[in-house]
Amino acid sequence: MPALPAPNVHDGSEMTSFSGLKPLAMILPGLFLAMFIIGYPVADLAYTSLQEVSRFGKLQGFAGFANFAEVFSDPLFWSSLYRTAIWTVCVVAGTLLLSLPIAIMLNEDFYGRGLARVIIMLPWAISLTMTAVVWRWTLNGRSGLLNATLMDVGIIAEPIEWLAEAQLAFTVEILVGILVSIPFTTTIFLGGLSSMPQESYEASMVDGATRWDQFIHITLPLMKPFINIAIVLNVIYVFNSLPIIWVMTEGGPANGTDILVTYLYKLAFRFGQLGKAAAISLIMFGVLLAFTILYVMLVSRGDRQPEEVEEG
Amino acid sequence: MIRAKKPVLATSLLVLSAFAGPALAKTTVDFTVAEYSSKTGPYFEEVAAAFEAENPDIDINIEVVPWDTLLQRLTTDITGGTAPDISIIGTRWLLDFAEQGIAEPVDEYLTPEFKDTFIDTFMAPSVIDGKIMGLPVAASARAMIINADLYEKAGVSPPTTWDELYEASKKISELPDTYGLGLQGKEIETDAYFYYALWTHGGDILTEDGMSGLDSPEAIEAATLYKKMLDEGLTQPSPTNYSREDVFNLFKQGTLGTIFTFPMLIPQLQAEAPDMNYQVLPFPEKASKATYGVTDTLMLFSDSDVKEEAWKFIEFAYGDEWRSKFDRGEGFLPVTKNVAAEEYFTADKDVAGFAAGLPYAKFAPTIANWEEIADTTVRALQQIYLGQETPEAALTAAAAEINKIRGK
Repeated sequence: MPALPAPNVHDGSEMTSFSGLKPLAMILPGLFLAMFIIGYPVADLAYTSLQEVSRFGKLQGFAGFANFAEVFSDPLFWSSLYRTAIWTVCVVAGTLLLSLPIAIMLNEDFYGRGLARVIIMLPWAISLTMTAVVWRWTLNGRSGLLNATLMDVGIIAEPIEWLAEAQLAFTVEILVGILVSIPFTTTIFLGGLSSMPQESYEASMVDGATRWDQFIHITLPLMKPFINIAIVLNVIYVFNSLPIIWVMTEGGPANGTDILVTYLYKLAFRFGQLGKAAAISLIMFGVLLAFTILYVMLVSRGDRQPEEVEEG
Repeated sequence: MIRAKKPVLATSLLVLSAFAGPALAKTTVDFTVAEYSSKTGPYFEEVAAAFEAENPDIDINIEVVPWDTLLQRLTTDITGGTAPDISIIGTRWLLDFAEQGIAEPVDEYLTPEFKDTFIDTFMAPSVIDGKIMGLPVAASARAMIINADLYEKAGVSPPTTWDELYEASKKISELPDTYGLGLQGKEIETDAYFYYALWTHGGDILTEDGMSGLDSPEAIEAATLYKKMLDEGLTQPSPTNYSREDVFNLFKQGTLGTIFTFPMLIPQLQAEAPDMNYQVLPFPEKASKATYGVTDTLMLFSDSDVKEEAWKFIEFAYGDEWRSKFDRGEGFLPVTKNVAAEEYFTADKDVAGFAAGLPYAKFAPTIANWEEIADTTVRALQQIYLGQETPEAALTAAAAEINKIRGK
């Protein structure tokens, strides 16, 4: 933006002084702080990943790409990576699909809306770890609340061991992941919905649009920036989320629910392979960075065209 | 928080000395304590208070850390340069600490009289390359506990061999809502639950030439037996959803005929299932007698600046009255001779039942990368219990992987 000429501004001289070094200088302190907070750990991580590291984190000398070679030749890394992709896509997609209707409902004016909003937001107030612990108890095969309820109601005759097999356990974990992501996402959407221009809706009603038409042609396009930010933030949170899987199954049975971050935790703090763990952390950082850049590029390219048409 | 600890202490000491004028400068000994139960923290605070009363110039700073996060916590502290002066650790980690030069050999501090107070069996696992790298601080042996009421109901007598256990479990499983044997298949010590069967079948974790013993015929026989009992409904279904505590809880509820466990379960049983008639028995045999002996070690850090003071505290804490109180409170077997001779530990039938196995107890081998090897074993067992692999295939693959981890 600062590079753009400002032809339609009356007082040109004042603006040109801003388009020089001044704005750059003004963001420098913030930039330095961000670089230090984000850059230092990443640089340290990159340095560690190229070193041979002892059981207790002492650097033993340059190892080249040995840690990375070890990571890439590890079948557990690849299966964890694959599962991380499934985990992230399912949790984020599920969250978005549920949060948007929830937000639209909560945006309507109805009796008890305040209470309903509080109930939806409530899981947010509890730490992820506690939520996971509660679910672990609830899903316990013989003494869990869920099985007891289902058996009382008569839906199942025998208790189901929810966390005994990897596939079922992972599915359950994804559902819990969706549940805990809903409050945050709903909040973003509610913010978006409350800024919707009411005139568009009224105008479309005059033209005979159904509620579905309104949703597709007004709500969705106007909500796009909010959906985009929800996608990016959720992907980052979910991709890196340890507590749910760790508390419920520790990545087991037989590594069947391990995602990258649980595998990383095991490597670093159980097996003491800090070099390999640093390499995986760096790979995870790279994946997220690439995703974010790619996504932002895709989104901004999609946004720019209509704007140019309008202005032209 | 961790990093801030020392500066904060230092400042508070500065402030203190500023107010107290020429008062004594206190030496602080940082002691990381593993939390065995809710009694552990208060117990060590009490020892520290008694010690500080006798030694006003030394301050013992106790930090209680749960077992699950202890290794992670120590790793972070060591990496960050804020390691404590002494810590309780699992003896199975000791080799890693010793190899990295983090543990201080205690030979030169250990007077012959002090050394003589320990039972030799428990001292042995702490000796690495001829040097004593730490002191045994807690010990337990495992045993079989049966629900005598269920055995009586089913009309079977307590088993002494695996064949008898199998037959008895069949009868007990015929009772409504009960299973013969509790089988652990998840999280900490899932591998230990298998070693009990492995050892009594005549196998071992490592063979004499240092290779993994998981692919031995004895190991495959032991795993096949567990799987057979699982498939025939003699254990609770889906063991991969049952951690150690989950299995113990089933036993407390009276659902299981037999479990393999540690002495610490006895006080829990008495509190939570006071009406149950239980019996502590040796493990069933096939080819040999065995039990799992587990010790924890009190380790001195080589980076510590206050080793003399730390050692003074250690000697104090190993006084008979303190050890006796600790072992009784936590339900451990005594590691010192004087405490072992106390009537409580010789006359009580439960404690005696666990102590009976000590002469033939096996310990986890002191080898590097133990946690990773244990994890590989657990993965193989879970594949077997889930039916993803046959016992032979899973254990052979695990043995190969363990040999690779060990660089063989």
